[in-house]
Amino acid sequence: MTPMTTRAALLAFCLFLPFQSFGGAALPTAPEVPRDALQEGAELFVNECQTCHGLSFVRFGQLAELGFSEKEIAEKLLAGAPGEFMRVAAKRDDQKRWFGVAPPDLSLTVRAHASSEGSGADWLYAYLRSFRRDDASPTGWNNDVFTKVAMPHVLWRMQDATNPEEGAADALSPEDYDRRVATLVGFLAWAGDPHAALRKRVGIGVVAFLLVFSALAYALKREYWRDITGDRRQETGGR
Amino acid sequence: MNLKTMRAGKYRSNGGFFGDCIEWLDARLPLSAFWRKHFSEYLVPKNLNFWYFFGSIALVVLLMQIVTGIFLAMSYQPDATPNADGIPVAFASVEYIMRDVNWGWLIRTTHSTGASAFFFVVYLHIFRCMLYGSYRKPRELLWIVGVVIFYALMAEAFTGYVLPWGQMSFWAAQVITDLASAFPFFGTALADWVRGDFSVGGATLGRFFALHVVALPLALILLVVLHLVALREVGSNNPDGFEAQKRVNVEGTLLDGVSFHPYYTVKEVFALSVFLLVFFSLVFFAPEGGGYFLETENFLPADPLKTPEYIKPLWYFTPFYSMLRAMTRPLLGVDAKLLGVLAMNGAVGVLVFLPWLDRAPVRSIRHRGPVFKVMLSLFVASFLTLGFLGAKPPEYVLWGAIPGAPIARAATFFYYFYFLAMPWWSKIDLCAQETQAA
Amino acid sequence: MNSTAGDLKTEGETARETDCKTDTRRRRLVAAVALVGGSGITAAAFPLLSSLAPSARARLAAAPVEVDLGDLSPGHLKIVEWRARPVWILKRTPEMLACLAEVADRVLDPESKQAQQPKNCANATRSIRPNLLVVLGVCTHFGCSPVPRFTRGAGEGMPAEWPGGFVCRCHGASFDFAGRAFKNTLAVKNLEVPPHRYLSETRLVIGDGAESTT
Repeated sequence: MTPMTTRAALLAFCLFLPFQSFGGAALPTAPEVPRDALQEGAELFVNECQTCHGLSFVRFGQLAELGFSEKEIAEKLLAGAPGEFMRVAAKRDDQKRWFGVAPPDLSLTVRAHASSEGSGADWLYAYLRSFRRDDASPTGWNNDVFTKVAMPHVLWRMQDATNPEEGAADALSPEDYDRRVATLVGFLAWAGDPHAALRKRVGIGVVAFLLVFSALAYALKREYWRDITGDRRQETGGR
Repeated sequence: MNLKTMRAGKYRSNGGFFGDCIEWLDARLPLSAFWRKHFSEYLVPKNLNFWYFFGSIALVVLLMQIVTGIFLAMSYQPDATPNADGIPVAFASVEYIMRDVNWGWLIRTTHSTGASAFFFVVYLHIFRCMLYGSYRKPRELLWIVGVVIFYALMAEAFTGYVLPWGQMSFWAAQVITDLASAFPFFGTALADWVRGDFSVGGATLGRFFALHVVALPLALILLVVLHLVALREVGSNNPDGFEAQKRVNVEGTLLDGVSFHPYYTVKEVFALSVFLLVFFSLVFFAPEGGGYFLETENFLPADPLKTPEYIKPLWYFTPFYSMLRAMTRPLLGVDAKLLGVLAMNGAVGVLVFLPWLDRAPVRSIRHRGPVFKVMLSLFVASFLTLGFLGAKPPEYVLWGAIPGAPIARAATFFYYFYFLAMPWWSKIDLCAQETQAA
Repeated sequence: MNSTAGDLKTEGETARETDCKTDTRRRRLVAAVALVGGSGITAAAFPLLSSLAPSARARLAAAPVEVDLGDLSPGHLKIVEWRARPVWILKRTPEMLACLAEVADRVLDPESKQAQQPKNCANATRSIRPNLLVVLGVCTHFGCSPVPRFTRGAGEGMPAEWPGGFVCRCHGASFDFAGRAFKNTLAVKNLEVPPHRYLSETRLVIGDGAESTT
């Protein structure tokens, strides 16, 4: 291999490697959710999840990034001032006493569950769709993705079409349920990394700039190293 | 401002304001002398290839880590106590940086990716020394200072990794500080002394913060300056291995050398721009690096009561971690735990002796025989294998059939064999004559 | 080097020309790299310097504060905290209001021409309601918090001509019952009136004004 090929191979390796996921993709990919659909996920979170789970690194006011107006935040979502964090009302010690384990804060749950089997969003999407009834467990529910989970199936009314109490009218079709869960997962993915969109936009600019600068720097290097390599072709107009 | 006029004696301005300022400064500081000695008249072999970039890139990465680190230290709080939401203050302060501080996410990801980049660059830098014999006489001290820098860098990376106080931070601190307890008699007391407590906690976090932000950066800067001073004293090696200084013409000018400025300044600017291109592609598009730059487990706050399923260090420590775990049986009266600690530390320590272990008559791989090429390839293979296995759980089985533990032991054995048997195999190698080819 | 037939230039001249061309090319390239590189470094400094500015947490912590004035009697001062600074709410008595006209020629800016208050407070009493002064208790000299000296005349360590108001103990600046700075003291601006509005007879919101200069 010539030196140039080695260098090109090393460079390609560096650029290629971090984007690979090693190991088999055992989890189905969570569907992409457009930005405006995340509002649905936010509402779902506040209504269904926030009784137990906090989102203590996200402020109510930040939800405006998803397209909510200040009025909408106050009416549909607010449990505090816009500058306040979306904390859970109960104290952690109390929750520990009641449930045996305090429900974890969900601000980083998507980032904390990435693995070689799929991204954190994939994990969460699979988790929320894998609850099944289990009479042996204290809550009556178990989960295929997270065995012996202490959390009951909070969204059971939306999913279970055969529940005797609420009747089938409340339940959604499997596709609708999947779609709603996808918006919730998308919202939590946003909550885990709110600057992701900005990061990618700025990144394109920075990489473009560095490509231009590298080209210029290479031209400069070639120009000076002509003294050493004795290459005088450019001066006579030949190339 | 025409820098060419600096060549003879002190700088003389040609009338402009800027030139007058430089002349004023030069009369009071050895500016033009420094410029001539280290840049415009410092001769470097002209055949340096791309393996020679990594030293200066490492210097740039060090500066980048210091600058980003300063800004991180403004908002980070080294406090392990839980806040009102039950999350440790240190962990919450890192999330504060990531979310609320203007551009904090960029500063933090530059710093975390920078740590991985630092090791990537340093490993390649060390590999270049092994390829071309840059550790041999008269560069032994330069090499030893480099090994000490490597030690300091590992300590800096380790203390830095503990600071976010995530699950991996905490448990890595627990495992590594517990290594001290491997020593007989005083082991437990030593471990308590290192931690500042009977188990990793707020005291440990506080001292790691002081070490990471003040003590180790100062040490690194001083060592790097020493490293550069030692380099300038003996001059650069080159891929052909022969001592460039030896070939001079009648006027005493290095025949195979070019002045550092402008030839190598221009080349290094290009190398730096390519490096930054790769680096910032990662920072902006893959900051977690698939779990290799920011481990997923570390997004959970530290929980002293719950050990993660797999405790593993970041990728750059995995070869040494593998050696630590590979020693499962006692040997010569030394128990397995202490053996692991010694193997891990000795792996870096043995590097110090390399200039004296290598007995080949030539420096560079270009003139070495097949024994060296085979041994070096096997060395690289075993180092990479150790790294791969270090990232897996100890009971890992390769392709469902071959258990990883004996392979790790074999690779550790070969790592030591490469060095300790070098006086023998480097001598029996069939080397070419050291030619003076350009 | 090529020499075309009929070329009258000597080799030396051609060499000088080539050197000139090389020099120009090099100068241009160095300038281009320096310019692009310099702009890159400047752009890189921007996020670092920006991170020093108040973070989202600081900006959001500056939320409005609601105050209940039911227990405030005339002649008394209530102090609340807003944006980590003291805000004074003074229920002025008729005597205090009369005093304002009296000292108009002894204060630097009697008509509040300087932009130290929202538009709806740029009046003789520097307030929305004449009997309630809402002002930041921060001296406009170097930021100490002045103390009340409401008694007219030589009591509480004040000189005989003292009409009543606030005095800053750090460097001696003094302000009247509308927060206007007296002449010949180190303070050159009136005390700042924060944006505020009344929700009812007894409820006041500081930091949220219908019309504000900030």
